[in-house]
Order: sequence, then C-alpha cells, then structure tokens
Amino acid sequence: MTSDEEDAPSPEEILRVIQEQRVATVRWLRGDPLLLYAPWGVAWLLGYTALFLHYGLDGHPYAPISLSQALGVLMGAQIVAGAVSAFEIARMSGGVRGHQSARGTMYGYGWLAGMLLMIIIGVRLSMILPPGEAALLWGGGTLMVVAVMYMAGGAIWLNWEMFFIGAWVAAVDAVGVLMGVGWFLLLTAVLLGGGFIAIGLWLRRRR
Amino acid sequence: MTADKALPELDPVIHAQARLRVVAALNVLGDGNEMAFPTLKDLLDMTAGNLSVHLTKLEDAGYVRITKTHKGRTPVTYVALTKRGRAAFEDYTKAIRALLDNAGGTS
Repeated sequence: MTSDEEDAPSPEEILRVIQEQRVATVRWLRGDPLLLYAPWGVAWLLGYTALFLHYGLDGHPYAPISLSQALGVLMGAQIVAGAVSAFEIARMSGGVRGHQSARGTMYGYGWLAGMLLMIIIGVRLSMILPPGEAALLWGGGTLMVVAVMYMAGGAIWLNWEMFFIGAWVAAVDAVGVLMGVGWFLLLTAVLLGGGFIAIGLWLRRRR
Repeated sequence: MTADKALPELDPVIHAQARLRVVAALNVLGDGNEMAFPTLKDLLDMTAGNLSVHLTKLEDAGYVRITKTHKGRTPVTYVALTKRGRAAFEDYTKAIRALLDNAGGTS
C-alpha cells in the first residue's frame, strides 16, 4: 500500500519534511553553481592570463604568446564554459513551464542582445583605437554586460548572491579599466577568473 | 496514540508524507508555473507509478491540475498546484504550527 498507512509523524517531523522539500526544490530550480560559475572562472583565468602574458604590466610581454594565440585560448575556453552552463540551464528550464520559464527566456535574450551589441560596438571602434585601448574596450565592455546581467538576474529571481556577484564584476571592471590594460587583464584573471571558481566551489559546498 | 487523536482536523489528502512532499515542492513554484512530471519524479525520488497514484488523489481533491501536452512528438505531462491546493497547503502548515504551539512550544 502507499504511505497513507504509515504511523503519523510528529508535527516537528512534518515541518522538517516540508522545509527539506522546499530547500531541495529551490536548489534544483537554481541549478548547480559549480556548473554555472566555475567553467567561466576557468575560462577567464586561462584566457585573461594568456592575454596578460602577451601585454604585460608595462607594455612588455612576459611570455612569447601572440595576441591571436591568447585570444584563441580565451574564446575557446569561453565556448566550452558557455556549452557547460547552457547544458545546465537547459536541464533546469526543461522541467518547468510558465512564468518562470518566460522569465528565463527573456533573460537569455537579454544576454544575447547585450553581447551582440558589444560585438558591434567593439568591431566598429577597435579599428580606430591603439591595440591596448581596443583590448580594454572589448574586455571592459564584455564585463559590463556580465555585471549588469548578473545584477538584473538577482533582481528577477530575488537572488542576492547573483546580485552581489554582478556588483563584484562591476567593481573589478571599473578598477581594471581605470588602471590600464595590463592591470585590467591581471585583475580580471585573478579576481574574476579565480573568483568565479571560488564562488562555484563555495556555493556548491554550502548547499 | 493514534493519528486521529494526535492530529485532529488535518487535511487527510495532504497528510500523507508522499503527497505532502508533492505539494511542498509544487508550492515553491509561484502561481502560473507548472512542473514536468519527470522533473517532479526525480525531485521527489519516487517511482512514476507511485507518483501517479498520489497525483490522482491530489487531482481528485482539486489540489493539482494535470496538463497532458506534446513537446514535438513526445508527450509531456505538467503538474501545477491549483489555488485551492495552495490554500489547502497553507491551512495545513498553519494547523501543524498551531499543534506545535499547543504542545508547549517544543521548538
């Protein structure tokens, strides 16, 4: 028979069951933070470190890495990260239909629009900028989209972690751009690359 | 002590752990959202047969709405808590909290 015939649990037990189920469901809806954050951390750590070694802090390369090689590392790693997180997001959104998934879809198109605009602005303006400034435009602009979208995501799903992660990206982006290309690349590699790996591991451990 | 004496006036539809968990999970989704059957099954770690039995009981009580549709060619079943189901869950948790308080505030 079904569980109807089990002995009645105590009120404390019942409240615990409700709470556990609520937490498990919220956790499921938010996805696995290790798959959502850490791949981007790895991509940025590798890609921006390669770019940093190419540019150096004072304009002298630290390693014989060409710009196209460094960009190749960044782009390749970002494609892998995008695939991993898209897989996780598809798993999350496949199970739910309604307002929740409409929000997710609009939010996804928001990301797409932001990144496409960044590419259009970058292609148009980087031709007339010195290489270092062009790198700042690409890096700083891309991270601006990331920062704003994370903060907006926090607002949509009332997720404070997501909001503060966005604010963190914005702060690193601002300081980096003000300090110039070398520092921008170093700070992004360490604080955002390393930071996203740490956040993914920490959120995963905590849940 | 028997269940009836210890826990009076509790909604018998929800007062079975399996169905309580179904309702608690669906309650997390706000109004206007549905959860796919396989997702609910994985989330609750129940067999499809067992979950179906409980969903039928909840549907008979008017607590959940079950929508059968197609995604491409594959049939998909979505489950959502009705307004009545949401209210019943709220009443149930209130009743449990009241029982706890009456028992001398053990928590």
